[in-house]
Amino acid sequence: MSATSKQKIYLFLYKHLPIILLFISVLNEADLNYLDFKYFSFNFSYILIFYYSLKRSQSLGYVFVFIAGLFNDVVVGTPMGLSSLMFLILCVAASYLRNITLRPSLIKDCIFFLITILIINSLLFVALNFIFGYELDFFDQVINIIFTFLLYFLFSNIFNFFEKYLMSNSNVR
Amino acid sequence: MEPSRDDFVIALRSAFFKKGTQQRFSLLSLILFSIILLTLSSLNFKVINYFKIGINELIYRGSVIASFPEKLIKSKYNNLQDHRKLFTNYKDNLAELDSIKSSNLSKEIIEFENIRLKQMIDDYVVADNEIFAKVLIDKKSPFLKSIIINKGSRNNIKLGMAVLDGIYFIGKVVELNYSTSRILLISDINSKIPVSLEPIGVQAIMSGNGEMNGIIEYVNQSNLESENTNLTVFTSGMGGLFKSGIPIGRIIKEKNASNITSNVNFYKDLSQLKYVKILSYKKENLNLEIENSQDRNVEILQETNNQNYLFKEQQKISNEIRVKLEQDKILLNKELTKLKKEISKLKKDVQNQIIEDEKTLIDADELKFLKLNFLYSKKCTKTFYNKLYKVGSAKYKKCILNKGKN
Repeated sequence: MSATSKQKIYLFLYKHLPIILLFISVLNEADLNYLDFKYFSFNFSYILIFYYSLKRSQSLGYVFVFIAGLFNDVVVGTPMGLSSLMFLILCVAASYLRNITLRPSLIKDCIFFLITILIINSLLFVALNFIFGYELDFFDQVINIIFTFLLYFLFSNIFNFFEKYLMSNSNVR
Repeated sequence: MEPSRDDFVIALRSAFFKKGTQQRFSLLSLILFSIILLTLSSLNFKVINYFKIGINELIYRGSVIASFPEKLIKSKYNNLQDHRKLFTNYKDNLAELDSIKSSNLSKEIIEFENIRLKQMIDDYVVADNEIFAKVLIDKKSPFLKSIIINKGSRNNIKLGMAVLDGIYFIGKVVELNYSTSRILLISDINSKIPVSLEPIGVQAIMSGNGEMNGIIEYVNQSNLESENTNLTVFTSGMGGLFKSGIPIGRIIKEKNASNITSNVNFYKDLSQLKYVKILSYKKENLNLEIENSQDRNVEILQETNNQNYLFKEQQKISNEIRVKLEQDKILLNKELTKLKKEISKLKKDVQNQIIEDEKTLIDADELKFLKLNFLYSKKCTKTFYNKLYKVGSAKYKKCILNKGKN
Protein backbone atom coordinates (compact mmCIF):
# COMPACT_ATOMS: atom_id res chain seq x y z
CA MET A 1 0.00 0.00 0.00
CA SER A 2 1.48 3.33 -1.03
CA ALA A 3 2.02 6.21 1.37
CA THR A 4 -0.64 8.31 -0.37
CA SER A 5 -3.36 5.70 -0.06
CA LYS A 6 -2.45 5.17 3.61
CA GLN A 7 -2.68 8.89 4.15
CA LYS A 8 -6.08 8.91 2.47
CA ILE A 9 -7.31 6.17 4.78
CA TYR A 10 -6.03 8.03 7.84
CA LEU A 11 -7.65 11.20 6.66
CA PHE A 12 -10.90 9.43 5.98
CA LEU A 13 -10.84 7.82 9.42
CA TYR A 14 -9.97 11.10 11.08
CA LYS A 15 -12.78 12.81 9.29
CA HIS A 16 -15.47 10.18 9.65
CA LEU A 17 -14.54 8.11 12.69
CA PRO A 18 -16.96 9.90 15.05
CA ILE A 19 -19.92 9.39 12.76
CA ILE A 20 -18.91 5.75 12.09
CA LEU A 21 -18.68 5.19 15.83
CA LEU A 22 -22.04 6.85 16.32
CA PHE A 23 -23.74 4.62 13.76
CA ILE A 24 -22.06 1.50 15.13
CA SER A 25 -23.23 2.53 18.59
CA VAL A 26 -26.86 2.92 17.56
CA LEU A 27 -26.98 -0.03 15.18
CA ASN A 28 -25.09 -2.54 17.25
CA GLU A 29 -27.22 -5.22 18.82
CA ALA A 30 -25.56 -5.38 22.24
CA ASP A 31 -24.13 -1.94 21.94
CA LEU A 32 -22.04 0.11 24.32
CA ASN A 33 -25.12 1.87 25.64
CA TYR A 34 -26.86 -1.03 27.24
CA LEU A 35 -24.46 -3.63 28.55
CA ASP A 36 -26.11 -6.55 30.18
CA PHE A 37 -25.28 -5.64 33.77
CA LYS A 38 -27.85 -5.12 36.46
CA TYR A 39 -26.76 -1.77 37.83
CA PHE A 40 -24.65 -0.50 34.99
CA SER A 41 -25.62 1.22 31.78
CA PHE A 42 -24.48 4.32 30.04
CA ASN A 43 -25.25 6.19 26.87
CA PHE A 44 -22.22 6.18 24.64
CA SER A 45 -24.04 8.09 21.91
CA TYR A 46 -24.58 11.06 24.23
CA ILE A 47 -20.90 11.15 25.19
CA LEU A 48 -19.78 10.90 21.57
CA ILE A 49 -22.19 13.53 20.27
CA PHE A 50 -21.45 15.98 23.06
CA TYR A 51 -17.68 15.56 22.84
CA TYR A 52 -17.43 15.91 19.09
CA SER A 53 -20.00 18.71 18.88
CA LEU A 54 -17.93 20.54 21.42
CA LYS A 55 -14.41 19.81 20.22
CA ARG A 56 -14.72 19.17 16.50
CA SER A 57 -18.18 20.18 15.36
CA GLN A 58 -17.42 19.72 11.67
CA SER A 59 -16.85 15.98 12.16
CA LEU A 60 -20.46 15.29 13.11
CA GLY A 61 -22.90 16.58 10.54
CA TYR A 62 -26.19 17.51 12.18
CA VAL A 63 -28.07 15.63 9.50
CA PHE A 64 -26.11 12.50 10.34
CA VAL A 65 -26.89 13.00 14.01
CA PHE A 66 -30.55 13.34 13.09
CA ILE A 67 -30.44 10.13 11.01
CA ALA A 68 -28.56 8.31 13.78
CA GLY A 69 -31.35 9.34 16.13
CA LEU A 70 -33.94 7.87 13.77
CA PHE A 71 -31.95 4.64 13.59
CA ASN A 72 -31.72 4.55 17.36
CA ASP A 73 -35.49 4.96 17.64
CA VAL A 74 -36.09 2.11 15.26
CA VAL A 75 -33.64 -0.24 16.97
CA VAL A 76 -34.65 0.60 20.53
CA GLY A 77 -38.35 0.85 19.75
CA THR A 78 -39.03 4.37 20.94
CA PRO A 79 -41.32 6.69 18.92
CA MET A 80 -39.86 7.92 15.68
CA GLY A 81 -37.96 11.20 16.03
CA LEU A 82 -37.57 11.19 19.80
CA SER A 83 -33.91 10.18 19.93
CA SER A 84 -33.17 12.56 17.06
CA LEU A 85 -34.66 15.38 19.10
CA MET A 86 -32.58 14.43 22.14
CA PHE A 87 -29.39 14.15 20.10
CA LEU A 88 -30.01 17.52 18.50
CA ILE A 89 -30.71 19.16 21.87
CA LEU A 90 -27.38 17.75 22.99
CA CYS A 91 -25.77 19.32 19.91
CA VAL A 92 -27.41 22.66 20.75
CA ALA A 93 -26.06 22.49 24.30
CA ALA A 94 -22.57 21.60 23.09
CA SER A 95 -22.68 24.32 20.48
CA TYR A 96 -23.79 26.86 23.09
CA LEU A 97 -21.01 25.80 25.43
CA ARG A 98 -18.49 26.11 22.61
CA ASN A 99 -19.69 29.60 21.87
CA ILE A 100 -19.43 30.82 25.44
CA THR A 101 -16.17 29.06 26.34
CA LEU A 102 -12.98 31.03 26.21
CA ARG A 103 -10.74 28.70 28.18
CA PRO A 104 -11.79 25.03 27.83
CA SER A 105 -11.79 22.90 30.95
CA LEU A 106 -12.81 19.25 31.32
CA ILE A 107 -14.55 19.82 34.66
CA LYS A 108 -16.72 22.60 33.24
CA ASP A 109 -17.52 20.49 30.21
CA CYS A 110 -18.50 17.60 32.45
CA ILE A 111 -20.76 19.71 34.65
CA PHE A 112 -22.44 21.21 31.60
CA PHE A 113 -22.76 17.72 30.15
CA LEU A 114 -24.38 16.50 33.37
CA ILE A 115 -26.93 19.32 33.33
CA THR A 116 -27.66 18.65 29.67
CA ILE A 117 -28.20 14.91 30.05
CA LEU A 118 -30.36 15.53 33.11
CA ILE A 119 -32.56 17.81 31.02
CA ILE A 120 -32.55 15.42 28.07
CA ASN A 121 -33.43 12.38 30.13
CA SER A 122 -36.14 14.32 31.94
CA LEU A 123 -37.61 15.29 28.60
CA LEU A 124 -37.30 11.71 27.42
CA PHE A 125 -38.98 10.41 30.56
CA VAL A 126 -41.82 12.94 30.31
CA ALA A 127 -42.34 12.27 26.61
CA LEU A 128 -42.28 8.49 26.90
CA ASN A 129 -44.22 8.22 30.12
CA PHE A 130 -46.85 10.92 29.81
CA ILE A 131 -47.29 11.35 26.07
CA PHE A 132 -46.60 7.94 24.58
CA GLY A 133 -47.66 5.79 27.54
CA TYR A 134 -44.44 3.85 27.96
CA GLU A 135 -43.61 2.63 31.46
CA LEU A 136 -40.02 3.42 32.42
CA ASP A 137 -38.00 2.42 35.39
CA PHE A 138 -36.87 5.63 37.01
CA PHE A 139 -34.03 3.88 38.76
CA ASP A 140 -32.58 2.64 35.46
CA GLN A 141 -32.69 6.17 34.10
CA VAL A 142 -30.81 7.54 37.08
CA ILE A 143 -28.15 4.85 36.83
CA ASN A 144 -27.80 5.54 33.12
CA ILE A 145 -27.34 9.27 33.78
CA ILE A 146 -24.78 8.75 36.55
CA PHE A 147 -22.61 6.36 34.57
CA THR A 148 -22.88 8.43 31.41
CA PHE A 149 -21.67 11.42 33.39
CA LEU A 150 -18.85 9.51 35.10
CA LEU A 151 -17.66 7.87 31.92
CA TYR A 152 -17.51 11.18 30.13
CA PHE A 153 -14.16 11.76 31.86
CA LEU A 154 -12.79 8.47 30.58
CA PHE A 155 -14.08 8.75 27.04
CA SER A 156 -13.10 12.37 26.81
CA ASN A 157 -9.50 11.42 27.56
CA ILE A 158 -9.61 8.49 25.15
CA PHE A 159 -10.98 10.69 22.38
CA ASN A 160 -8.36 13.33 23.16
CA PHE A 161 -5.67 10.70 22.85
CA PHE A 162 -6.97 9.48 19.50
CA GLU A 163 -7.34 12.99 18.19
CA LYS A 164 -3.76 13.77 19.03
CA TYR A 165 -2.48 10.47 17.67
CA LEU A 166 -4.36 10.82 14.39
CA MET A 167 -3.53 14.46 14.10
CA SER A 168 0.13 13.78 14.53
CA ASN A 169 -0.04 10.94 12.01
CA SER A 170 -1.80 13.03 9.45
CA ASN A 171 0.67 15.85 9.97
CA VAL A 172 3.65 13.54 9.53
CA ARG A 173 2.43 12.04 6.32
CA MET B 1 -25.80 42.95 33.20
CA GLU B 2 -26.84 44.06 29.70
CA PRO B 3 -23.76 42.80 27.83
CA SER B 4 -23.91 39.35 29.51
CA ARG B 5 -27.52 38.92 28.37
CA ASP B 6 -26.49 39.92 24.88
CA ASP B 7 -23.73 37.32 24.99
CA PHE B 8 -26.19 34.64 26.06
CA VAL B 9 -28.59 35.52 23.28
CA ILE B 10 -25.81 35.68 20.72
CA ALA B 11 -24.38 32.32 21.83
CA LEU B 12 -27.79 30.72 21.82
CA ARG B 13 -28.68 32.18 18.44
CA SER B 14 -25.38 31.03 17.09
CA ALA B 15 -25.98 27.54 18.47
CA PHE B 16 -29.38 27.30 16.86
CA PHE B 17 -28.86 29.07 13.56
CA LYS B 18 -25.18 28.81 12.66
CA LYS B 19 -24.40 26.29 10.00
CA GLY B 20 -20.90 24.89 9.92
CA THR B 21 -18.90 24.04 6.84
CA GLN B 22 -20.73 21.44 4.76
CA GLN B 23 -23.79 21.73 7.04
CA ARG B 24 -26.93 22.01 4.97
CA PHE B 25 -29.41 22.47 7.78
CA SER B 26 -29.27 24.47 10.97
CA LEU B 27 -29.93 22.77 14.29
CA LEU B 28 -33.21 24.61 14.73
CA SER B 29 -34.61 23.36 11.44
CA LEU B 30 -33.62 19.78 12.28
CA ILE B 31 -35.14 20.07 15.76
CA LEU B 32 -38.37 21.39 14.26
CA PHE B 33 -38.33 18.58 11.72
CA SER B 34 -37.90 15.92 14.41
CA ILE B 35 -40.73 17.46 16.48
CA ILE B 36 -42.99 17.38 13.40
CA LEU B 37 -41.96 13.76 12.76
CA LEU B 38 -42.64 12.85 16.36
CA THR B 39 -46.07 14.50 16.35
CA LEU B 40 -47.12 12.92 13.07
CA SER B 41 -45.95 9.49 14.13
CA SER B 42 -47.87 9.78 17.41
CA LEU B 43 -50.97 10.70 15.39
CA ASN B 44 -50.49 7.57 13.24
CA PHE B 45 -50.07 9.63 10.09
CA LYS B 46 -50.17 7.20 7.16
CA VAL B 47 -47.14 8.53 5.26
CA ILE B 48 -45.05 8.50 8.42
CA ASN B 49 -46.11 4.93 9.11
CA TYR B 50 -44.98 3.82 5.64
CA PHE B 51 -41.77 5.78 6.10
CA LYS B 52 -41.29 4.08 9.47
CA ILE B 53 -41.89 0.62 8.03
CA GLY B 54 -39.39 1.35 5.24
CA ILE B 55 -36.78 2.53 7.72
CA ASN B 56 -37.48 -0.45 9.95
CA GLU B 57 -36.80 -2.88 7.12
CA LEU B 58 -33.60 -1.08 6.21
CA ILE B 59 -32.27 -0.69 9.72
CA TYR B 60 -33.10 -4.14 11.00
CA ARG B 61 -31.08 -5.65 8.17
CA GLY B 62 -28.34 -3.05 8.63
CA SER B 63 -28.25 -3.71 12.33
CA VAL B 64 -27.74 -7.43 11.70
CA ILE B 65 -24.74 -6.66 9.51
CA ALA B 66 -23.33 -4.14 12.00
CA SER B 67 -23.75 -6.63 14.83
CA PHE B 68 -22.13 -9.49 12.97
CA PRO B 69 -18.57 -9.22 14.40
CA GLU B 70 -19.87 -8.80 17.92
CA LYS B 71 -22.31 -11.67 17.48
CA LEU B 72 -19.50 -13.86 16.22
CA ILE B 73 -17.36 -13.13 19.27
CA LYS B 74 -20.33 -13.62 21.54
CA SER B 75 -21.26 -16.95 19.98
CA LYS B 76 -17.65 -18.19 20.20
CA TYR B 77 -17.53 -17.20 23.84
CA ASN B 78 -20.84 -18.95 24.48
CA ASN B 79 -19.56 -22.05 22.68
CA LEU B 80 -16.51 -22.11 24.90
CA GLN B 81 -18.67 -21.73 27.98
CA ASP B 82 -20.93 -24.52 26.75
CA HIS B 83 -17.99 -26.86 26.23
CA ARG B 84 -16.73 -26.09 29.68
CA LYS B 85 -20.07 -26.95 31.20
CA LEU B 86 -20.71 -29.94 28.92
CA PHE B 87 -19.76 -32.76 31.26
CA THR B 88 -21.59 -31.32 34.26
CA ASN B 89 -24.62 -30.69 32.11
CA TYR B 90 -24.45 -34.22 30.75
CA LYS B 91 -24.53 -35.72 34.24
CA ASP B 92 -27.34 -33.44 35.32
CA ASN B 93 -29.25 -34.22 32.17
CA LEU B 94 -28.96 -37.95 32.72
CA ALA B 95 -30.38 -37.65 36.20
CA GLU B 96 -33.09 -35.35 34.96
CA LEU B 97 -33.90 -37.67 32.07
CA ASP B 98 -34.49 -40.54 34.42
CA SER B 99 -36.91 -38.58 36.55
CA ILE B 100 -38.64 -37.15 33.48
CA LYS B 101 -39.06 -40.59 31.91
CA SER B 102 -40.72 -41.87 35.04
CA SER B 103 -43.12 -38.97 35.25
CA ASN B 104 -43.80 -38.83 31.53
CA LEU B 105 -46.34 -41.59 31.49
CA SER B 106 -48.58 -40.12 34.13
CA LYS B 107 -48.24 -36.76 32.41
CA GLU B 108 -49.47 -38.16 29.13
CA ILE B 109 -52.49 -39.66 30.82
CA ILE B 110 -53.27 -36.35 32.47
CA GLU B 111 -52.84 -34.55 29.16
CA PHE B 112 -55.28 -36.81 27.38
CA GLU B 113 -57.71 -36.46 30.23
CA ASN B 114 -57.31 -32.69 30.11
CA ILE B 115 -57.97 -32.61 26.37
CA ARG B 116 -61.06 -34.77 26.79
CA LEU B 117 -62.41 -32.58 29.59
CA LYS B 118 -61.71 -29.40 27.67
CA GLN B 119 -63.45 -30.81 24.65
CA MET B 120 -66.43 -31.52 26.86
CA ILE B 121 -66.67 -27.87 27.92
CA ASP B 122 -65.82 -26.60 24.41
CA ASP B 123 -62.60 -24.91 25.54
CA TYR B 124 -60.07 -26.95 23.64
CA VAL B 125 -57.82 -24.69 21.60
CA VAL B 126 -55.29 -25.83 19.07
CA ALA B 127 -52.38 -24.10 17.35
CA ASP B 128 -53.71 -22.46 14.22
CA ASN B 129 -50.69 -20.94 12.57
CA GLU B 130 -47.18 -21.95 13.54
CA ILE B 131 -44.19 -20.04 12.20
CA PHE B 132 -40.55 -20.39 13.13
CA ALA B 133 -38.35 -17.31 13.00
CA LYS B 134 -34.79 -16.28 13.65
CA VAL B 135 -33.97 -13.52 16.09
CA LEU B 136 -32.34 -10.70 14.15
CA ILE B 137 -31.78 -8.15 16.88
CA ASP B 138 -31.82 -8.60 20.62
CA LYS B 139 -31.43 -5.08 21.91
CA LYS B 140 -30.90 -5.05 25.62
CA SER B 141 -32.38 -1.64 26.09
CA PRO B 142 -33.40 -0.58 29.59
CA PHE B 143 -36.44 1.12 28.04
CA LEU B 144 -37.92 -1.67 25.99
CA LYS B 145 -37.22 -5.38 26.31
CA SER B 146 -37.89 -6.53 22.81
CA ILE B 147 -36.43 -8.55 19.96
CA ILE B 148 -36.69 -8.30 16.21
CA ILE B 149 -37.41 -11.42 14.16
CA ASN B 150 -36.99 -12.11 10.45
CA LYS B 151 -40.64 -12.85 9.72
CA GLY B 152 -43.33 -10.29 9.06
CA SER B 153 -46.72 -9.75 7.50
CA ARG B 154 -45.68 -11.59 4.33
CA ASN B 155 -45.28 -14.72 6.47
CA ASN B 156 -48.83 -14.37 7.85
CA ILE B 157 -47.67 -13.02 11.18
CA LYS B 158 -50.28 -10.90 12.90
CA LEU B 159 -50.21 -8.50 15.81
CA GLY B 160 -50.74 -10.13 19.18
CA MET B 161 -49.55 -13.60 18.20
CA ALA B 162 -47.91 -15.59 20.99
CA VAL B 163 -44.17 -16.20 20.83
CA LEU B 164 -42.66 -19.34 22.31
CA ASP B 165 -39.16 -20.62 22.77
CA GLY B 166 -39.58 -24.36 22.83
CA ILE B 167 -42.71 -24.87 24.87
CA TYR B 168 -42.20 -21.78 27.01
CA PHE B 169 -44.01 -18.51 26.52
CA ILE B 170 -41.66 -15.55 25.99
CA GLY B 171 -43.67 -12.69 24.52
CA LYS B 172 -46.04 -11.41 21.87
CA VAL B 173 -45.89 -9.61 18.53
CA VAL B 174 -46.33 -5.85 19.00
CA GLU B 175 -45.01 -4.37 15.79
CA LEU B 176 -45.43 -5.72 12.30
CA ASN B 177 -43.45 -4.91 9.19
CA TYR B 178 -43.40 -6.58 5.81
CA SER B 179 -40.55 -8.97 6.51
CA THR B 180 -39.70 -8.28 10.15
CA SER B 181 -41.59 -8.01 13.42
CA ARG B 182 -40.94 -6.80 16.93
CA ILE B 183 -41.62 -9.08 19.85
CA LEU B 184 -42.32 -7.54 23.24
CA LEU B 185 -40.72 -9.85 25.77
CA ILE B 186 -42.47 -10.79 28.99
CA SER B 187 -39.63 -9.20 30.95
CA ASP B 188 -40.64 -5.74 29.71
CA ILE B 189 -42.54 -3.59 32.17
CA ASN B 190 -45.12 -2.76 29.50
CA SER B 191 -45.93 -6.44 29.03
CA LYS B 192 -49.13 -7.49 30.81
CA ILE B 193 -49.98 -11.17 30.49
CA PRO B 194 -52.98 -12.87 32.18
CA VAL B 195 -51.55 -15.79 34.11
CA SER B 196 -52.66 -18.56 36.39
CA LEU B 197 -50.66 -19.65 39.43
CA GLU B 198 -50.76 -23.38 39.89
CA PRO B 199 -51.45 -25.53 41.88
CA ILE B 200 -53.48 -22.99 43.90
CA GLY B 201 -55.29 -21.78 40.75
CA VAL B 202 -55.01 -18.05 41.45
CA GLN B 203 -55.59 -15.74 38.47
CA ALA B 204 -53.28 -12.73 38.10
CA ILE B 205 -51.58 -10.39 35.68
CA MET B 206 -47.85 -10.77 35.10
CA SER B 207 -45.74 -7.82 34.16
CA GLY B 208 -42.00 -7.69 33.52
CA ASN B 209 -39.70 -5.84 35.87
CA GLY B 210 -37.52 -4.51 33.08
CA GLU B 211 -34.78 -6.98 33.90
CA MET B 212 -34.83 -10.78 33.86
CA ASN B 213 -37.85 -11.46 36.08
CA GLY B 214 -41.57 -10.93 36.13
CA ILE B 215 -43.88 -9.42 38.74
CA ILE B 216 -47.25 -10.80 39.74
CA GLU B 217 -49.83 -8.02 39.89
CA TYR B 218 -53.47 -7.67 40.91
CA VAL B 219 -53.32 -10.51 43.40
CA ASN B 220 -53.42 -10.59 47.16
CA GLN B 221 -49.75 -10.94 48.09
CA SER B 222 -50.60 -12.45 51.47
CA ASN B 223 -52.09 -15.46 49.66
CA LEU B 224 -48.79 -16.05 47.91
CA GLU B 225 -46.74 -15.43 51.05
CA SER B 226 -48.69 -17.97 53.01
CA GLU B 227 -48.37 -20.54 50.23
CA ASN B 228 -45.47 -22.84 50.94
CA THR B 229 -45.54 -24.91 47.78
CA ASN B 230 -43.61 -24.00 44.65
CA LEU B 231 -45.95 -22.08 42.42
CA THR B 232 -45.72 -22.41 38.67
CA VAL B 233 -46.89 -19.65 36.37
CA PHE B 234 -48.89 -20.55 33.26
CA THR B 235 -50.82 -18.45 30.78
CA SER B 236 -54.43 -18.44 31.90
CA GLY B 237 -55.97 -18.00 28.45
CA MET B 238 -58.09 -15.10 29.71
CA GLY B 239 -58.83 -12.68 26.90
CA GLY B 240 -58.75 -15.47 24.38
CA LEU B 241 -55.48 -14.40 22.73
CA PHE B 242 -53.29 -17.19 24.01
CA LYS B 243 -53.93 -20.78 24.87
CA SER B 244 -54.16 -21.53 28.54
CA GLY B 245 -51.49 -23.62 30.21
CA ILE B 246 -48.37 -22.44 28.39
CA PRO B 247 -45.60 -22.53 31.00
CA ILE B 248 -43.83 -19.26 31.79
CA GLY B 249 -41.82 -19.66 34.97
CA ARG B 250 -41.76 -20.32 38.70
CA ILE B 251 -42.50 -18.03 41.60
CA ILE B 252 -39.48 -17.17 43.69
CA LYS B 253 -39.87 -15.43 47.04
CA GLU B 254 -37.42 -12.73 48.02
CA LYS B 255 -37.20 -11.46 51.55
CA ASN B 256 -36.76 -7.73 51.78
CA ALA B 257 -36.31 -5.79 54.98
CA SER B 258 -40.01 -5.08 55.32
CA ASN B 259 -41.86 -7.76 53.36
CA ILE B 260 -41.65 -10.76 51.09
CA THR B 261 -41.97 -10.14 47.36
CA SER B 262 -42.94 -12.78 44.82
CA ASN B 263 -41.13 -12.59 41.50
CA VAL B 264 -41.42 -14.88 38.52
CA ASN B 265 -38.26 -16.66 37.50
CA PHE B 266 -38.70 -17.37 33.77
CA TYR B 267 -37.95 -20.82 32.45
CA LYS B 268 -36.10 -19.36 29.49
CA ASP B 269 -33.16 -17.01 29.54
CA LEU B 270 -34.57 -14.15 27.47
CA SER B 271 -31.11 -12.82 26.62
CA GLN B 272 -30.18 -16.06 24.83
CA LEU B 273 -32.92 -16.27 22.23
CA LYS B 274 -31.92 -17.49 18.77
CA TYR B 275 -34.97 -19.05 17.19
CA VAL B 276 -38.55 -18.56 18.26
CA LYS B 277 -41.93 -19.98 17.38
CA ILE B 278 -44.82 -17.65 16.63
CA LEU B 279 -48.26 -19.08 17.18
CA SER B 280 -51.87 -18.12 16.97
CA TYR B 281 -54.59 -20.21 18.52
CA LYS B 282 -58.13 -21.05 17.61
CA LYS B 283 -60.86 -23.06 19.26
CA GLU B 284 -61.19 -26.49 17.84
CA ASN B 285 -64.17 -26.43 15.50
CA LEU B 286 -66.57 -28.56 17.46
CA ASN B 287 -69.81 -27.22 15.86
CA LEU B 288 -69.50 -29.39 12.80
CA GLU B 289 -68.68 -32.32 14.94
CA ILE B 290 -71.65 -31.58 17.15
CA GLU B 291 -73.93 -31.55 14.06
CA ASN B 292 -72.34 -34.73 12.84
CA SER B 293 -72.64 -36.25 16.25
CA GLN B 294 -76.32 -35.22 16.39
CA ASP B 295 -76.97 -36.96 13.06
CA ARG B 296 -75.04 -39.90 14.30
CA ASN B 297 -77.09 -39.89 17.48
CA VAL B 298 -80.33 -40.00 15.47
CA GLU B 299 -78.94 -42.85 13.42
CA ILE B 300 -77.89 -44.68 16.53
CA LEU B 301 -81.34 -44.08 18.06
CA GLN B 302 -83.11 -45.43 15.00
CA GLU B 303 -80.77 -48.36 14.89
CA THR B 304 -81.41 -49.03 18.55
CA ASN B 305 -85.17 -48.81 18.04
CA ASN B 306 -84.96 -51.27 15.18
CA GLN B 307 -82.83 -53.54 17.23
CA ASN B 308 -85.28 -53.26 20.14
CA TYR B 309 -88.21 -54.15 17.87
CA LEU B 310 -86.29 -57.08 16.44
CA PHE B 311 -85.31 -58.14 19.86
CA LYS B 312 -88.90 -57.99 21.14
CA GLU B 313 -90.12 -60.00 18.15
CA GLN B 314 -87.37 -62.48 18.71
CA GLN B 315 -88.27 -62.62 22.38
CA LYS B 316 -91.91 -63.24 21.52
CA ILE B 317 -91.00 -66.05 19.18
CA SER B 318 -88.62 -67.46 21.74
CA ASN B 319 -91.38 -67.38 24.36
CA GLU B 320 -93.78 -69.21 22.07
CA ILE B 321 -91.14 -71.78 21.27
CA ARG B 322 -90.39 -72.09 24.94
CA VAL B 323 -94.07 -72.68 25.86
CA LYS B 324 -94.42 -75.21 23.09
CA LEU B 325 -91.26 -76.93 24.17
CA GLU B 326 -92.48 -77.05 27.74
CA GLN B 327 -95.76 -78.61 26.65
CA ASP B 328 -93.85 -81.12 24.56
CA LYS B 329 -91.64 -81.77 27.49
CA ILE B 330 -94.62 -82.52 29.73
CA LEU B 331 -96.08 -84.83 27.11
CA LEU B 332 -92.80 -86.52 26.59
CA ASN B 333 -92.34 -86.91 30.32
CA LYS B 334 -95.72 -88.56 30.55
CA GLU B 335 -94.84 -90.76 27.61
CA LEU B 336 -91.55 -91.56 29.21
CA THR B 337 -93.18 -92.54 32.50
CA LYS B 338 -95.63 -94.68 30.63
CA LEU B 339 -92.88 -96.34 28.66
CA LYS B 340 -90.80 -96.86 31.76
CA LYS B 341 -93.76 -98.58 33.36
CA GLU B 342 -94.20 -100.75 30.30
CA ILE B 343 -90.52 -101.58 30.29
CA SER B 344 -90.60 -102.56 33.92
CA LYS B 345 -93.67 -104.70 33.28
CA LEU B 346 -92.04 -106.30 30.32
CA LYS B 347 -88.90 -106.89 32.31
CA LYS B 348 -90.94 -108.65 34.96
CA ASP B 349 -92.65 -110.77 32.29
CA VAL B 350 -89.32 -111.66 30.80
CA GLN B 351 -87.96 -112.65 34.16
CA ASN B 352 -91.02 -114.80 34.90
CA GLN B 353 -90.69 -116.42 31.52
CA ILE B 354 -87.02 -117.12 32.16
CA ILE B 355 -87.82 -118.61 35.53
CA GLU B 356 -90.54 -120.73 33.98
CA ASP B 357 -88.19 -121.81 31.20
CA GLU B 358 -85.54 -122.71 33.71
CA LYS B 359 -88.11 -124.66 35.67
CA THR B 360 -89.22 -126.44 32.51
CA LEU B 361 -85.58 -127.21 31.66
CA ILE B 362 -84.93 -128.55 35.18
CA ASP B 363 -88.04 -130.67 34.97
CA ALA B 364 -86.81 -132.24 31.69
CA ASP B 365 -83.38 -133.03 33.18
CA GLU B 366 -85.03 -134.52 36.25
CA LEU B 367 -87.26 -136.67 34.09
CA LYS B 368 -84.32 -137.96 32.05
CA PHE B 369 -82.46 -138.68 35.32
CA LEU B 370 -85.41 -140.58 36.76
CA LYS B 371 -85.71 -142.65 33.61
CA LEU B 372 -82.02 -143.45 33.56
CA ASN B 373 -82.05 -144.01 37.35
CA PHE B 374 -84.71 -146.59 36.94
CA LEU B 375 -82.52 -148.46 34.42
CA TYR B 376 -79.05 -147.90 35.72
CA SER B 377 -79.40 -147.39 39.50
CA LYS B 378 -77.80 -150.70 40.27
CA LYS B 379 -74.70 -149.84 38.30
CA CYS B 380 -74.11 -146.72 40.33
CA THR B 381 -75.49 -147.38 43.86
CA LYS B 382 -72.97 -147.97 46.65
CA THR B 383 -73.20 -151.35 48.38
CA PHE B 384 -71.11 -153.43 50.73
CA TYR B 385 -69.12 -154.99 48.02
CA ASN B 386 -68.56 -152.10 45.60
CA LYS B 387 -67.19 -148.70 45.98
CA LEU B 388 -69.72 -146.75 43.91
CA TYR B 389 -71.68 -143.67 44.71
CA LYS B 390 -74.10 -142.77 47.43
CA VAL B 391 -77.66 -142.23 46.19
CA GLY B 392 -78.55 -138.56 45.82
CA SER B 393 -74.95 -137.34 45.50
CA ALA B 394 -73.67 -135.36 42.47
CA LYS B 395 -71.35 -138.18 41.43
CA TYR B 396 -74.27 -140.60 41.54
CA LYS B 397 -76.29 -138.29 39.32
CA LYS B 398 -73.39 -137.99 36.90
CA CYS B 399 -72.99 -141.74 36.83
CA ILE B 400 -76.72 -142.27 36.08
CA LEU B 401 -76.61 -139.66 33.31
CA ASN B 402 -73.59 -141.47 31.83
CA LYS B 403 -75.69 -144.61 31.78
CA GLY B 404 -73.82 -146.42 34.52
CA LYS B 405 -70.32 -145.50 33.18
CA ASN B 406 -68.04 -143.78 35.54
